[in-house]
Amino acid sequence: MNVEITRVTRRFGRTMAVRGITLTAGPGVLGLLGPNGAGKTTLLRMMATVVPPSSGRMRLLDRDPGLYRPRQEIRRRLGYLPQSLGYYPGFTIGEFVEYFALLKEVPPARMRTAVSAAIERVELGDQAKARLRTLSGGMLRRVGIAQAIVNEPDLLLLDEPTAGLDPEQRVAFRALLRDLGQHATVVVSTHLVEDVGAACARVALMDRGTIVYTGTPAELTARGVGHSSGDAPLERGYSAVLAAARS
Amino acid sequence: MRLVRLVRLVRLVRLVRLHVASRRVPAAAALIAGCAVALRVALSRRFDASGVLQLALIFEAACAAVIAVTSASPFGDCERTAARWLPFLRLTTVLALTALGAGALAAAGTGAHLAGGALGVLRNLTGLVGLGLLGALAAGGGLAWIGPIAYLVVGTYALWRGPVLTTPWLWPARAPHDLGAAVYAGLVFAGGLVAITVRGARDPAGQ
Repeated sequence: MNVEITRVTRRFGRTMAVRGITLTAGPGVLGLLGPNGAGKTTLLRMMATVVPPSSGRMRLLDRDPGLYRPRQEIRRRLGYLPQSLGYYPGFTIGEFVEYFALLKEVPPARMRTAVSAAIERVELGDQAKARLRTLSGGMLRRVGIAQAIVNEPDLLLLDEPTAGLDPEQRVAFRALLRDLGQHATVVVSTHLVEDVGAACARVALMDRGTIVYTGTPAELTARGVGHSSGDAPLERGYSAVLAAARS
Repeated sequence: MRLVRLVRLVRLVRLVRLHVASRRVPAAAALIAGCAVALRVALSRRFDASGVLQLALIFEAACAAVIAVTSASPFGDCERTAARWLPFLRLTTVLALTALGAGALAAAGTGAHLAGGALGVLRNLTGLVGLGLLGALAAGGGLAWIGPIAYLVVGTYALWRGPVLTTPWLWPARAPHDLGAAVYAGLVFAGGLVAITVRGARDPAGQ
């Protein structure tokens, strides 16, 4: 398993953002669903080794992220798109992706092809020399995805990757997700249930810091039979599980 | 073997170049050079004893503020998870800019009546940069200028018409070869340097 999380909690002052989560994930795409404030971003940040858990045990790529050397090895094989992408506006798309390829120690022989392949995969190949300050929000999101996949990560963490993408780009992105999930463990945090239905093999639903459901999108859809809240079958399943967890 | 080393070196140079650009180091270097020129021009005028000390402190604090602000990372969490080279890059950037600042200010004072001379500039600048870096750790790189500028206000008062406060924490009020002041300034610089190398500047809220 590339992700093994056991009874992990994360506290910020008096706020308990994540409450004793246990989760495992192997290769494939796992969708992390939940309302705003459910703890999805905090869980992803812990998996990205940005913040350590307050308690509990984590193993990522068969390594302990609490130790310095294993953490460096995890980071080398990790791709991460945070909810809020920071960037230097003077960089071109190519420079931005190359900077992260260099930081992630992509082998020199593969550097050039890895950078251009990552940019091509998010369909920005013809704009590789465009400055980031000139790009729209959706294009910046795709640049963020390119930097996350430039090292062909074994563990890819994407926080709201489709925010700002138009419908055509979202369809293309879902195809990219399915492709990446064939070899890597991909964890996608979102509150757009249609992304999960189209691209994820498994789904975990979070609410108030805990995971209240894990299963396949089809199983989640089945939970919604007879439930009236929601426009699509998967949305009805989502609402039914949340309602049951809160009752 | 030689080729492998050369390729590694080229990659490292490229990484340093991109890192330096993202931290706006060229603009910082230009500002430091501007401070040195302004100091040289100012030194051509006559000042009393405390004025000479205050004048040097103004330009040292300005340089330190510029250096400390370059610790701000525009990349946030993305960069923190790609991290083996990052401490080395942060350390190199601060050391190179501090050396540039000390060298430029000392050169500006050559042949003029620069308070404390090159040794005084080095001591005062490193201490002020340390303050700025500690501020970056606490409040973020964008606000790292607050420490040096606050120190400038206190220091200017302390030097008013001859030193009115002489604690070793007020380095500019002490002689350039004063051991206590050098140790205190060095400790602040070392503390700031270690903190910024290991942890980096605090990210702005929302990143």
